[in-house]
Amino acid sequence: MSAPDDWTAAPCGLLVLDPAGTVVRVNDQLLAWAGRPAADVVDRVRFGDLLSVGGRLYWETHLAPRLQLEGRLQEISVELRSPDGRVPVLLSAAVVPGSGHVRVALHGARDRVRFERELRAAREQAQHAVDRLSTLQAVTWGLSRATGVREVVEAVLTAATGPLGAATAAVWTSVEGHLQLHSARGEGPVPAPSAPDLAAGPAPRSADGRFEVPLPGAAGFPGVLVLAGVDPVPDTDVLAAVAQQAGLALDRARLHEQSAGVAHALQHAMLAVHPPVDPRYAVGATYRAGVEMLEVGGDWYDVFLVGPGTLGVVVGDVVGRGLVAASAMGQLRSAVRAVSEPGAGPATALTRLDRFVEQVPTAQMATVAYAELDLATGVLRYACAGHPPPLLLPADGPDHYLWGGRSTPLGAVVEGVPRTGTSLQLRAGDRVLLYTDGLVERRDRGLDEGMAALALAAEQVRGRSLGDTTEAVTAVMLQGEVVSDDVCALLLRWSGPPQQGGVAASG
Amino acid sequence: MCPVDPLRRNAVTVTGSPDGVPVVFVHGFGCDQGMWRHVAPAFEATHPVVTLDHVGAGGSDTSGYDRERYSSLQAYADDLVEVLAASGLPPVVLVGHSVSATIGALAAIARPEVVRQLVMVAPNPRFVDDDGYRGGFGADEVDELLETMEGNHLGWSADIAPVIMGAPDRPELGEELTRSFCRTDPTIARDFARVTFLSDHRADLAHVPVPTLVLQCSDDALAPLEVGAFVHDQLPDSELVVLAATGHCPNLSAPAELVGVLRAHLDRG
Repeated sequence: MSAPDDWTAAPCGLLVLDPAGTVVRVNDQLLAWAGRPAADVVDRVRFGDLLSVGGRLYWETHLAPRLQLEGRLQEISVELRSPDGRVPVLLSAAVVPGSGHVRVALHGARDRVRFERELRAAREQAQHAVDRLSTLQAVTWGLSRATGVREVVEAVLTAATGPLGAATAAVWTSVEGHLQLHSARGEGPVPAPSAPDLAAGPAPRSADGRFEVPLPGAAGFPGVLVLAGVDPVPDTDVLAAVAQQAGLALDRARLHEQSAGVAHALQHAMLAVHPPVDPRYAVGATYRAGVEMLEVGGDWYDVFLVGPGTLGVVVGDVVGRGLVAASAMGQLRSAVRAVSEPGAGPATALTRLDRFVEQVPTAQMATVAYAELDLATGVLRYACAGHPPPLLLPADGPDHYLWGGRSTPLGAVVEGVPRTGTSLQLRAGDRVLLYTDGLVERRDRGLDEGMAALALAAEQVRGRSLGDTTEAVTAVMLQGEVVSDDVCALLLRWSGPPQQGGVAASG
Repeated sequence: MCPVDPLRRNAVTVTGSPDGVPVVFVHGFGCDQGMWRHVAPAFEATHPVVTLDHVGAGGSDTSGYDRERYSSLQAYADDLVEVLAASGLPPVVLVGHSVSATIGALAAIARPEVVRQLVMVAPNPRFVDDDGYRGGFGADEVDELLETMEGNHLGWSADIAPVIMGAPDRPELGEELTRSFCRTDPTIARDFARVTFLSDHRADLAHVPVPTLVLQCSDDALAPLEVGAFVHDQLPDSELVVLAATGHCPNLSAPAELVGVLRAHLDRG
């Protein structure tokens, strides 16, 4: 037996195909890869039959046509079928001019394929890192904008049903050691935690295709996020990082709501008004706390007797929000009562308040509309320190704003310019509306427009009772608005001297 | 949304004589209209000749490609119907190769008034074996195929810009044509492979409302002989011709035989 020739012994796979694609010659390396004897291959199979399924298809639909047209192929990645699986090879082929036979050379490509696989894995990893980062960024952004518990929970649910890929998600929060459903989002039944409390541990747990992620706060677990129908399966590191942030945000939101609750209670107590009982007047008032922010505002109103037969009404607005503004408001409210004095009049009262705010800097720049009504005569003396003008709603005749008695906000005294006040004779049934700027100011319109809208709104609800009127006007003015600022409106009506009888207009 | 020009989207080429019944050639998976370069010119003297690229292949405009929409062959058939409508041609003879034989059948079912006759070259309405039907691939092989399509990304990419080699035995081929031959968008090719090899349109054959010529190759790994017989059997009005040509692409491996059979068929009307 002679030694094999160079072609047969070449360290790569070599074949010759006839024009129909049938293998007519094959070398040892190719037979070794294919794991078949020459008798099984030569004149028996078409080249495509030696390839993996994908390779066969690639060959029949793409490579063989190209070979026919272009005459050759170079370094195409395909796989051979072998008894031990698939053998990756690089294929080059050329058509023999004249005969139409095809010479094929296959070069082993395990290393190249491994390299490509590593390359692909590295690319996937990089993409994964980018995805992970963008998920965390989205969650962080959502949480950073949330101030209250409700908003934090909404942000967590948005992340859960968005980037974290859950079909359904629920946040359960710890109330006196027990988990209660706070909110859920998505289709299907609300996923519940597997235990009524989560003393078990901080690691995310999964069971039955669900994920349970404790949201760890500074002390214990303020909540747990339960995900269901998660696709694709989330990265546990991402889940843990989201949980960490969400837990802290929940903690923070709770503390914030607690202090805000205290402030609201304080504000509520300070706003308690007990108007003196007298048949010659009536008041109605509406107070709406801004809901966008949890902090309390500095608006207030008050109704009190300045002296026998003289009623004081005031609506004011302290600069700023929160406990500082609320306490300044409380002090200023008391101060208004203290500085008003029978016979002194509104301008004098404002002058005294200027001196008062020198001692209470947080009350500086507060605005006040202050009026005193002589219950016997209907004379209304009033002054506005930097405050929007009162609106007069006569028993008959058109509404108009009271532009008299205007001066600067409290504490902003101009040297040599005294506080001024003015007066007005009310007729029985006339009404005067005092309000804070939250009622008329909007980001998207000027103050003039707001005041015109207020006059129109007051006209629309004419004929209602006093309390109804302030409620209705406020409702009209705030329609479709997210009330970010506090709003305060007070309506005073002089009924006229009772002995004149029958003059007083109804409600 | 901008109105789509189907003729531009599918890189439609219209050549040939203004008279005669128009013949429309539609390429199959893995290639583009260049697949017909040895066949279509044979009819230019006597017929209007139309060739086109499916979206994702050759010179097609892929900007409107929507993976969801193109997840069924019907989308490709709808494209074809739009091309026929936009071309303004009278009813055509539709020649579809491989998966486009099925696409052509769906187009004829949708709009019989624009398709006069159908020619199915190496058709296969269901590539996967199924309970007594031998389509060419076992179910286990299809998974391997799709896996290979995913893994072979670099192979496909390399093919987008193949090394330009002359075709010494056919010097008349311009380099421009050679360069663009079988150019495919690798991502769309992967989607197209999935829809091509996983679809089952056997049941549609019975609804093809036009006379159909079925051309079956002698030894075709992707469309076994039984498939040709099955297609012929299912069609309401068909003729089966088994070509001497081997392989899946007689339009390239045996253009003369294919032209001869087509010519005889067209001349018969």
